[in-house]
Amino acid sequence: MQKINRNVVLALLSLTSLVFLLFQLCYYKFYLSQKNGAAFSKVRGSQSGQDSTRWHVVRKFLGLTSGHNIPVYLIDPLILGLVDKDIEQIRSSPDGPSPECKYFCAPRDFTTFALLDKTWKHEVGLFRTAEKMGFQWLKIINKDPRLDGMDDLSGMEIPLHYIFKLASHAIHLVVFYERSGNFLWHGPLRLRQHMDRKFVPFRKLHFGRYPGAYEKPELLLVSIDDLKVQIPKNPSSFLEEMSHSRFLECRYREARAFFQLYPDDASPDAVEFRKKAKSLLHLAALTLNNLGVKFWLSSGTCLGWYRQCNVIPHSKDVDLGIFIRDYKADIIPAFQNAGLPLKHKFGKVEDSLELSFQGEGDVKLDIFFFYEEDDHIWNGGTQAKSGKKFKYLFPKFTLCWTEFVELKVHVPCETLQYVEANYGPEWKVPVKTWDWKSSPFNVQDNGVWPIDEWDNVIQIY
Amino acid sequence: MDEWKPNPTVKPHKKRSWYLAWKYKLMNQRALRKLCQTGAVLFLLVTVIVNIKLILDTRRAAYEEEEESAQDYDDEMLNVEAPRHPVNNKKVLDVEVYSSRSKVYVAVDGTTVLEDEAREQGRGIHVIVLNQATGHVMAKRVFDTYSPHEDEAMVLFLNMVARGRILIFTIKDEGSFHLKETAKNVLKSLGSQVAPFLSWRDMWTFVGKKGGEVYGEKHAKSPALSTWGDPVLLKTEVHLTSVEDAECHWPDTELNRRRKRFCSKVEGYGSVCSCKDPTPIEFNPDPLKDNKVFDVPVAVIAGNRPNYLYRMLRSLLSAQGVNPQMITVFIDGYYEEPMDVVELFGLSGIQHTPISIKNARVSQHYKASLTATFNLFPDAKFAVVLEEDLDISVDFFSFLSQSIHLLEEDDSLYCISAWNDQGYEHTAEDPSLLYRVETMPGLGWVLRKSLYKDELEPKWPTPEKLWDWDMWMRMPEQRKGRECIIPDISRSYHFGIVGLNMNGYFHEAYFKKHKFNTVPNVQLKNVESLRKDNYETEIHRLLGEAEVLDHSKNPCEDSFVPDTEGKVYVMFIRMEQEADFTTWTQLAKCLHIWDLDVRGNHKGLWRLFRKKNHFLVVGVPASPYSSKKPSSVTPIFMEPPAKEEGAAAVPAVAAAEQT
Repeated sequence: MQKINRNVVLALLSLTSLVFLLFQLCYYKFYLSQKNGAAFSKVRGSQSGQDSTRWHVVRKFLGLTSGHNIPVYLIDPLILGLVDKDIEQIRSSPDGPSPECKYFCAPRDFTTFALLDKTWKHEVGLFRTAEKMGFQWLKIINKDPRLDGMDDLSGMEIPLHYIFKLASHAIHLVVFYERSGNFLWHGPLRLRQHMDRKFVPFRKLHFGRYPGAYEKPELLLVSIDDLKVQIPKNPSSFLEEMSHSRFLECRYREARAFFQLYPDDASPDAVEFRKKAKSLLHLAALTLNNLGVKFWLSSGTCLGWYRQCNVIPHSKDVDLGIFIRDYKADIIPAFQNAGLPLKHKFGKVEDSLELSFQGEGDVKLDIFFFYEEDDHIWNGGTQAKSGKKFKYLFPKFTLCWTEFVELKVHVPCETLQYVEANYGPEWKVPVKTWDWKSSPFNVQDNGVWPIDEWDNVIQIY
Repeated sequence: MDEWKPNPTVKPHKKRSWYLAWKYKLMNQRALRKLCQTGAVLFLLVTVIVNIKLILDTRRAAYEEEEESAQDYDDEMLNVEAPRHPVNNKKVLDVEVYSSRSKVYVAVDGTTVLEDEAREQGRGIHVIVLNQATGHVMAKRVFDTYSPHEDEAMVLFLNMVARGRILIFTIKDEGSFHLKETAKNVLKSLGSQVAPFLSWRDMWTFVGKKGGEVYGEKHAKSPALSTWGDPVLLKTEVHLTSVEDAECHWPDTELNRRRKRFCSKVEGYGSVCSCKDPTPIEFNPDPLKDNKVFDVPVAVIAGNRPNYLYRMLRSLLSAQGVNPQMITVFIDGYYEEPMDVVELFGLSGIQHTPISIKNARVSQHYKASLTATFNLFPDAKFAVVLEEDLDISVDFFSFLSQSIHLLEEDDSLYCISAWNDQGYEHTAEDPSLLYRVETMPGLGWVLRKSLYKDELEPKWPTPEKLWDWDMWMRMPEQRKGRECIIPDISRSYHFGIVGLNMNGYFHEAYFKKHKFNTVPNVQLKNVESLRKDNYETEIHRLLGEAEVLDHSKNPCEDSFVPDTEGKVYVMFIRMEQEADFTTWTQLAKCLHIWDLDVRGNHKGLWRLFRKKNHFLVVGVPASPYSSKKPSSVTPIFMEPPAKEEGAAAVPAVAAAEQT
């Protein structure tokens, strides 16, 4: 009897301890295995894959935000990339259960979501609930750029990014703000002194290296991996937008310093010109955007943006640049339909093309086409009466977004080099008399058009 | 060991033999059994160890989490609280209070918290309220009890201060002339022995706890009418209480956390900090059906008048259809207390470094605020502009929601304003009636974004031009003949009596009797008739049905208008050309309405109410409506009284306050 008893007791004990240990392992995996999470899920040998840490964290996070009526949407480029491949299928079966965990189970450090600032009320309650659910969170705040251009206003700092961390996974929540010019903006992610630099591997984040500008996305509610989540309606165009979304803020402080040195011209003429230039720029942007032609602020307009965050009142025209590879024959009729007659056309698509349209009341719209070479970019100029050709050389540049006169437009990211190439090191000093043939710093003679081509390359209306 | 589960990875036949062999050995070999037992014990031990590690890890994680979140809060708290904690750990405060003819000061633990030696300023009783737990200054006031009614304000203030707060009093120059019995009794009830006998040009200092002990009092009697009492300096010690005792124990909600923060910092806001029954700070007024102004940003322009701002925001947040998320308060200067008020209500506030001086400073503040508003709400087509010294009518947003489409569609409109310059108790009657006027009243108005961005902002007066923004906006170069829509009964009430261009007498004469709508959900009458051309038709219809008054009578007399109700009357006054307001000004004066400059006119026509009758005044022959004058009627002419020196200067200054 005794023997049997001992054996039974021993067996029971071992069994309970084994069960207990297994339970511990599960528990451990869910809540604490920050580094070993993957290892533990292997131990489980999960077939569906949906119990991976990432999926659980995302599910919890979505529960948290929907519980507080916060409409977040998914902008994670890796997941959107996968989703884009199956977009038709996902669209057609918004509610179907998914057989396997395709999107949210790949082991990653982050999943990125976006939030439109105006759609929530900054409730503290969200963070309390998040803490109760086991999230650790980090808020990155900074100055409000919408007030930055203003003299001496100090608003409250605004949240730009949130990071919610649970177990080995983190949710990066990017806060988007509406800006003048009808676009969305997100800020850069910059850590302050006291912040925990090891909270998450910040370098691996997809958003936050630079500020970014986006169109307002149309959203679509889908069910992927059994999670209901909002995504941009067209993931591929969102990803395309993301790849060149970098945003440059105007240099408001330097602009203020400039106006201290050279007080702004507030004469009725200047006010009137600025108003016209602004509406011309709006019209031009609308026309070119409709055609899908990428353009940027060039010459004087670019200088105005860079130096004083405004239109230079004595510049008398609006200058845009377009890469010749983006040239479309529709450009001229499109502008004419918009009420801007062609004033002159110099050069040809192969060489030194330049278009000029007549805006309202003497304000001219100049469009320069830029030709890319191996180590530089150039655009051409033509003197009508002599047929002389000129060439303006610029170092290579890429394009960034900025906000200018309530418009989202491109400027060269390397603006200083661009402006210096064009106006020389003294670009900070306003010059009222300007000769386009000799004043620019980067002008070169480029020969003369052959007489027999004049009819084609010099067209004045 | 029968329940032992086989290893699933091992193949069946192997497993069986292995299992049998193992069982056999177990049954027969004592040594092995022992070993097995030891193994099991070890296994148990491992489990226990894993358990302990688990517990430790959980605790550490939880602790880290707490610390993390705590840090986030810390940061915010530090920013705000740091400068206010100079005496955090001390139990006793040294307080010095000085009272004299030309200077007062109060120092707490060597830090001067009040110093006033400016000439011709700061006369009366200075009151400072300290937090009994931290020693922070929670309120600073001066009541010029040499002048009438100021003692009433002081009593009101002292009654609002929570029990247990430390009160410091000191007199500068003179503080007894209009210090009435009631006020003296209140001071006496605080423990002052001297207060009941305080007399002409006495110097006095007093430190005590509200509803508790007296820490010190000093007094110097004035020996003669023409001289002041000797300066007195009171040095005393105040014992601090614990923080828990100084705070109320409200339920822990987000609202109450804001309340707690607010109430531990400032004093003088009455029942909002009452422990027992605090007044709400969230109002949840009824939403408006089909609210067209829900997404219109509201800019509240504020200075350093936090009590005004408090009253204003309360009324604003109680108005039906308000959307707190669209409200931004712009504070002119780095003042803490207005910001505390803004945070109490959970709104967003922006501070503005003062530029320039006086009226130009206000003007620059306006510009910055308007620009910022349109930057923050780039989608907005309009902005509502309010000031901190306005009460907002319960149907303010309903009024705007019904009329805002006019501003969008009618280019001949300059603004919609909630204020009728001529809408006094005795001259306004119909809450559903709107007018078109050529003047811009301000005091709660709607600005079109295109007007601001395209016209006003680019040429806004620069700081060196010491102009009033509202006077500038009224100039013909800006207004360009456009008109504003106003209600007959104002939807805002101007309660401010302290201000740049404002004082008590002026307020009493021109603002106190202003009519203010308190009826919710007023359905506006015939809004479409406010469009440019429709309005002319409407006026002609009105003039057509109007009864011409007896022009032989004195228009100032009450009997000029018959004792009827709901009729329309018209009178004709002389107005030689468009800018001739001689008779109108005299008429306005005797009717006790706004007469400091011309307001509320539309093409030489004024519309108001007298004795519940609609009363039209037409200027002949300048007004195009002069044709309605029967040929037998001679327009009334009223001559201005012989001009006194200085009379002309008053209107110029006073008119400026209409901001």
